[in-house]
Amino acid sequence: MSALGLPPFLVLSAFLFACGVVCVAARRNAIGVLMGVELILNAANLNFVAFARFNPAFRLEGQVFALLVVVLAAAEAAVALAIILNFYNNHATVDVDRADELKG
Amino acid sequence: MLDWFEAAPGRLYVVATLLPLGAFALLLVAGAVKNLCRPARQEGGRASSVYWLLGGDHPLRAGAYLATALMAVSAALAVGGLVWFLRDADQSGHAARWAERVEWVRVGPPAGPHDAPRPAAALELGYRIDHLSAILFAMVTVVGTLIFVFSLGYMADEAGQRVEDHEVDRQTPRPGHFARRGRYGRFFLYLSLFAFSMLNLLIADNLFQVFVGWELVGVCSFFLVGFFYERPSAARAANKAFIVNRVGDAGFLVGIFVAWSALGTLNIEELTRRVRPEANAGTLTRADPGSPAESARPIDRPGSDLLLYPAAAPAHRPGEPARPPEPDGSMPYTLFVLMGLGIFLGCVGKSAQIPLHTWLPDAMEGPTPVSALIHAATMVAAGVYLVGRAFPLFAPEVLLVIAYTGAATLFVSATIALVQTDIKRVLAYSTCSQLGYMMLALGVGGWVAGLLHLVTHAFFKALLFLGSGSVIHGCHHEQDLRKMGGLFGPMKVTALTMLVGVLAISGAPFFSGWYSKDQIIASALGYGLVHKEHVLLFLLPLVGAGLTGFYMFRLWFLAFAGRPRDEHVHHHAHESPRVMTLPLVVLAVFSVGVAWGSPPWDADASYLGHLLHDSEPAAADVPFAEEHHEAHEVHLVAGVAALVVALLGAGLAAAMYWRSVIDPAAIRNHVGGVYAFLRRKWYFDEVYDAAVVNPTVGLAFAAAAADKRPTDGPADAPPRRFDLLTLDGLLTAVGQLADTAGRGLRTVQTGRLRGYVVALALTVVLLLGMLWGLTSQASGGR
Repeated sequence: MSALGLPPFLVLSAFLFACGVVCVAARRNAIGVLMGVELILNAANLNFVAFARFNPAFRLEGQVFALLVVVLAAAEAAVALAIILNFYNNHATVDVDRADELKG
Repeated sequence: MLDWFEAAPGRLYVVATLLPLGAFALLLVAGAVKNLCRPARQEGGRASSVYWLLGGDHPLRAGAYLATALMAVSAALAVGGLVWFLRDADQSGHAARWAERVEWVRVGPPAGPHDAPRPAAALELGYRIDHLSAILFAMVTVVGTLIFVFSLGYMADEAGQRVEDHEVDRQTPRPGHFARRGRYGRFFLYLSLFAFSMLNLLIADNLFQVFVGWELVGVCSFFLVGFFYERPSAARAANKAFIVNRVGDAGFLVGIFVAWSALGTLNIEELTRRVRPEANAGTLTRADPGSPAESARPIDRPGSDLLLYPAAAPAHRPGEPARPPEPDGSMPYTLFVLMGLGIFLGCVGKSAQIPLHTWLPDAMEGPTPVSALIHAATMVAAGVYLVGRAFPLFAPEVLLVIAYTGAATLFVSATIALVQTDIKRVLAYSTCSQLGYMMLALGVGGWVAGLLHLVTHAFFKALLFLGSGSVIHGCHHEQDLRKMGGLFGPMKVTALTMLVGVLAISGAPFFSGWYSKDQIIASALGYGLVHKEHVLLFLLPLVGAGLTGFYMFRLWFLAFAGRPRDEHVHHHAHESPRVMTLPLVVLAVFSVGVAWGSPPWDADASYLGHLLHDSEPAAADVPFAEEHHEAHEVHLVAGVAALVVALLGAGLAAAMYWRSVIDPAAIRNHVGGVYAFLRRKWYFDEVYDAAVVNPTVGLAFAAAAADKRPTDGPADAPPRRFDLLTLDGLLTAVGQLADTAGRGLRTVQTGRLRGYVVALALTVVLLLGMLWGLTSQASGGR
């Protein structure tokens, strides 16, 4: 495991992050966007954990941050789902392209 | 009460000065209250009662009577004060009893007795009565009272509920007649304010207080010239009078600033002691900067600095010869000359001397009593008065400028007066000319002569103006001399009193004008004999005397003698009511006898002249001793010459306009261009218009155009976009820029969530790229 080294984890994390961004940018379904956001968060989480493992100065902090992000992701999902639900109630759709009331 | 006056009898003059101010304040408050109550005049109730109590729809006549009465009381106090002063003047130490001063505004710490001299630190209020101010005070109040009385009759039309001003209809044609409410009270309100300001100016003991009075009389003049302000000509004349006077006042202010900063006081007496200590009052002492005081040399070998002496009066020990005090400072001599020129420029403006004389003839747009009181007898004399007052502050160079200004003015104005046809304009130019005589006299050291002429002139010029007012009143506001003629029959009192005035101004023996003009010409001749290069200063007044005789008799003959030239005017002509002729008679008496002395045939023996001589500053006496001596020697020659020249002028006028021996039209055709030149008043107005007025007005229009809101449609249309050529446009463009930028940037906010994410991602990539580029460059550089 330790023979693997840090870079493969970072590459995986970057791949996950890219997938998340593409998912957020490409999906029109709000739920899909939310799933993309979860991917991005988990990419970050993977980074934290990897650094905690391979950087001795970062051992404890990395794991704490990872836990924090998990909690944050849960909270975020709850708020986002609430917003989506409300949006659906008002617009009878979850298409994010229709959510343009605040445009200039 | 009496003790209060006994302690400082000059307080009499303060009371007399404040009385017209009281009248002004009462009339002002009454007018304001009445106007406030006016909307409720039909509704009954308290406001309505007040309105009807204050005269209702008519102007309140009682206010005018009150103002006149207070002015009369002031005149009585002034005459009483004059008598008291003359009795007191023989006793020692009287000067201290007739002067008081209080601090008004302090702007710095008071100077201790041993401090180095420095700029003044407090404005003061104070009065100082000497022979000059006492006599002029009496003159102003007496003439003022007579003119107030005259105005009661002359302005009677204004007491009506509705006044039609046909002149307005003539100048600005429009359907229907122009009518307004009468302004009887307002006229007397202005006159009262003027009287106060003028008296304040006379008793003031410091330059700043003089300046306050100076500006107040200026603004009163503005109000009264523009009294019929609906007439465009009157409004223009008022502006002209005010603005031209401002030019002079700017100079006066410069003079005051120099006195304040370099001499450290504004009190005229202290200023005098500062440059001319009492023991050595005749000369200014000059030295080179840095040289010890012992090397101070008299004026004929000048250094570039003027030595200054302590302002405080020296402690006088009886039995010891007065010694000049030690100088305690110095100032550049050129600065001193500049101060004198500045003060004199103020006098040039106020006394209508060339080149600032153009406002006075136009000021004749005001009602005739105003012309008599302000623009002939008193206010325009203020300039001469100040020159007399500040005489010790004038360097010899400045005095020469004064003399030449006076000589030029008296000659130019007299030539213009020859050809004017408006009765008041003839008198206006003659006023300019006579003021020129006074300035000339002061400039050549004839201090007494100039100020004596000031007093005598005030009486006979007020008489002449009131006489012309009576003629205008009798002829239904006809002012054109060409339409008059033969008025002697219907207007005997006016004609005879005006004849007295004409004789007095022409310098006929035993009339008051003779005494003063004789002295002026003698002074000028004396000066010309001592300084041969300045002989012009004698020739011009001599020629001027002839011109005076001509134009004054021309006026009288055109108006009163011969056959009526306009049946309509002559048919309606009538003598004025007694309230107007009585002041004429009183003024005529003064015009004859005010300068008499004993014996009356000696022009030097004028009693008034002797009184004035008592307050002549040493600065006018000592340096001009030689000239005075010369003047005394040649007095008879000068007098006879002036008389002969004046007789020639008068005879010529009689031959042309009375006996018709010479046809004026033939002469006019003969001289051609000269006539047009004089008729156009030496083209002063045209030159000023071209050189000053038109560029200024053009600049104003250009500024207005540059300032205007740049719209392309009606005034309330939205402004033009990005108009950078006008000031307003420039400022608007800033706002327009922000607006345009906002409109452009709002399209970025599409509301498309996915677009935002893409932008975000691309930005991150871009930033990472930049970061990478920078770090690799940094590491590569190392």
